[in-house]
Amino acid sequence: MTAIEVPEVDYTEYSNRQLVLVPLAVLVLAIVVIGGWYAVTGAPATLGLEFTGGVELRIADDGSGDVEERIETTFDREPDSIRAIPADDVYVVTFRAGDDDPDGLASDLEEQADAADLETEAIDQVSASFATDTARTAVFGIGLAFLGMSVLVFALFRTFVPSIAVVASAFSDLVIPVAAMNLLGIEMTLGIVAALLMIIGYSVDSDILLNNSVLRRTGEFYESVNRAMRTGVTMTVTSIAAMVVMAIVATVFGIGLLRDIGIILTIGLCADLMNTYLLNVALLRWYKFEGVKR
Amino acid sequence: MFEPIKENWRVLLLVVVVLGATVALFAPQFAPQTAPGESQGDATQGVTNLQYGLDLAGGTRVRAPLLGYTATNVEFDGENPSQVASDVAAELDETSARDVSAVQTTEEGGEVEVTDSSVSEEEFRAAMDASGYAYDGIRSGVTQESRDAAEQVIQDKINEAGLSGGSVQQVQSVTGEYFLLIEVPGQGRQDVIDLLEERGTVQIAIAYPDSSAEDGTAVEENVLIQDDFEDIGTASRQEGGPGAYVPVSVVNEAPEGEQSPAHRFQDAAVEYEVASASGGARCDYDMDADALGEGSDSCLLLVVDGEVVNAFGMEDGLARSMAEGSWADSGNFRLTTTSFSDAQTISINLRAGALPAELDISGQGTSSTISASQGENFRLYSAITGVFAVFAVAGMVFLRYREPKVALPMIVTALAEVYALLGFAALVGYPLELAVIAGFIAVVGTGVDDLVIIADEVMSEGEVNSRTVFDSRFRRAFWVIGAAAATTIVAMSPLMVLSLGDLSGFAIFTILGVLIGVLVTRPAYGDILRRLLTIR
Repeated sequence: MTAIEVPEVDYTEYSNRQLVLVPLAVLVLAIVVIGGWYAVTGAPATLGLEFTGGVELRIADDGSGDVEERIETTFDREPDSIRAIPADDVYVVTFRAGDDDPDGLASDLEEQADAADLETEAIDQVSASFATDTARTAVFGIGLAFLGMSVLVFALFRTFVPSIAVVASAFSDLVIPVAAMNLLGIEMTLGIVAALLMIIGYSVDSDILLNNSVLRRTGEFYESVNRAMRTGVTMTVTSIAAMVVMAIVATVFGIGLLRDIGIILTIGLCADLMNTYLLNVALLRWYKFEGVKR
Repeated sequence: MFEPIKENWRVLLLVVVVLGATVALFAPQFAPQTAPGESQGDATQGVTNLQYGLDLAGGTRVRAPLLGYTATNVEFDGENPSQVASDVAAELDETSARDVSAVQTTEEGGEVEVTDSSVSEEEFRAAMDASGYAYDGIRSGVTQESRDAAEQVIQDKINEAGLSGGSVQQVQSVTGEYFLLIEVPGQGRQDVIDLLEERGTVQIAIAYPDSSAEDGTAVEENVLIQDDFEDIGTASRQEGGPGAYVPVSVVNEAPEGEQSPAHRFQDAAVEYEVASASGGARCDYDMDADALGEGSDSCLLLVVDGEVVNAFGMEDGLARSMAEGSWADSGNFRLTTTSFSDAQTISINLRAGALPAELDISGQGTSSTISASQGENFRLYSAITGVFAVFAVAGMVFLRYREPKVALPMIVTALAEVYALLGFAALVGYPLELAVIAGFIAVVGTGVDDLVIIADEVMSEGEVNSRTVFDSRFRRAFWVIGAAAATTIVAMSPLMVLSLGDLSGFAIFTILGVLIGVLVTRPAYGDILRRLLTIR
């Protein structure tokens, strides 16, 4: 029985310019999507309940078959979304915080649901001012984590080009999933913030491995890259497999937090494969063959 | 004899950690502590000592700020704090002096806060300016003292209401605003909010006929206030009637030269003709109009959070003892209510005390509730999700290496890492939540990543034919692992301290997992691999 091998790429066939082209094009595209989103909606992504404020109810499906219609007619405000989770027999109903003061909105909705004999399994209420605060905290947290990671990477390698290659690829790994979220219609939630922070931690692993192999180990450049790639691709693909499975299973069971983390990490790790083995390799090759001579 | 131990200490350390985790998970000594009135069986959920957080067990979480404004760095000009407070209160119409307080923090002065939710920032600023005390600025929120007091009061309220396992803590947002975070397992949203949203101030007022007033009623406020009551009994049903009551005694001792609350109340009852030598008042109070009915005697009003919840007259026997002046010797009294649930609320409020300020749950807070059945479902589903994720990782590792000698220990060590983390959670009593489960899955992910690095590094460049070769390759692999672990820790640490929902649990367990991995499990995997691969 032979083990599955990571295919070796013959990098000599491509110029640095060619290698960098694809990841840069994707990055620019992602930034355009996010910028466009910001220009049109006023936020870089579709914000979820935790960042806009509002109420989310989980209503049990009692098996009568008409729960969805009843949900539509029960409340004196129209729900912004109704999502069925068949595996858990519940409907997730969300109401965004209105411009009118939502004082006591959650209690009203709970009463209305009770009056219509709908059983509420869970209620989440987030006030608008708290949501703004959460958004600011989240942006601050991601910025801080990114900054800390950058400082650490520079401290580890102490050379500019390889360090900036890691930081640039981590930046792209963050931006691409956010753009993809917008295109796929996934809302920004706290789970996604956690996932983005995890991408900062995860995606740097394969970059560090690559840099270490090329810079700190003896051996010819292409041999070092291929050695790092064999390990790095195994690592990343293993993580992707875990995240895809987690995303699918959590979607079936309606566990939003785990689903969000799974989806975003899958996208982020795919982006990382591209960024590490195209962008980072090209920058390292330039540094090794041309940058050092200067 | 010690040679084998020295040789394999890394593996032995892992075994010790796993055994320790087993003890923490299953030994009854580490079982969760029981709340008052809770049996050991209720406190322990399931066969392990693990505790489950709200989203896996059901319950309600509320996070909200205390409403109020605080003037900072106020110069007291040598006055005592209570004088300062009453000076400021005097500038605010319709705000009782009890809603303004001053706290001395330095020699020169301190902070002044207003906790009346109807006072706006501008009004408070105007009042501060008018009072003539110099101050730096006004911020929203209340003083540290009030927050601490509120935390204590809420904890007492939760305990008094018999909601076992409830917890209260203060959290601060990035913008510096303070929130109270209240978690009550197993309770519905409305019950918790009803308990918290009201400040729970209780007072007795006397309504008496006054021909000059428009509705013929005048009210003497604050005849008795919260602090005047002691020995608060439990709510009891009225014998042979629909009503209920809370037995209390009114404090009848006072410092020299002052009148005790009981004597003050006795005098007031006589003065406003609730009690006289011939008997007690017959009360006829119109709750809707908030006024005495036609021809009614004076009434005692039970006022909770500014609302009259009941009005009552006085029994003849009690009235006579008041008129004689002998009642104050015992001070026993019954606060009667129209319903048993009102009596319960009042009993809880009196025992726990009043919140120093109102919790703003609907305006600036968040709340979330999960039913117990939903929580149990989540517990099962997240376990299934985790198991599937582990299978996916295991499958990939087998596909890649096709060598059980390499792959099997890899999966076993990764699982040992999660097991050790579960043991830690049980040991410190950290409640498991969905976010923590996500952290476990992240740990399996990073853990296996690092084991792949070790395996690939050790097996590269031909056979491992001596211990020295193995060790040097292992050390090289460890540099990458250490660097990767450091970046993960740096990336996760902001989440650990920022108050972002329950994500701090996710960060804490990811970081812990990475630490256990680097310090214990990955070196052990290296040792196992060495034994299996080294050609002797």
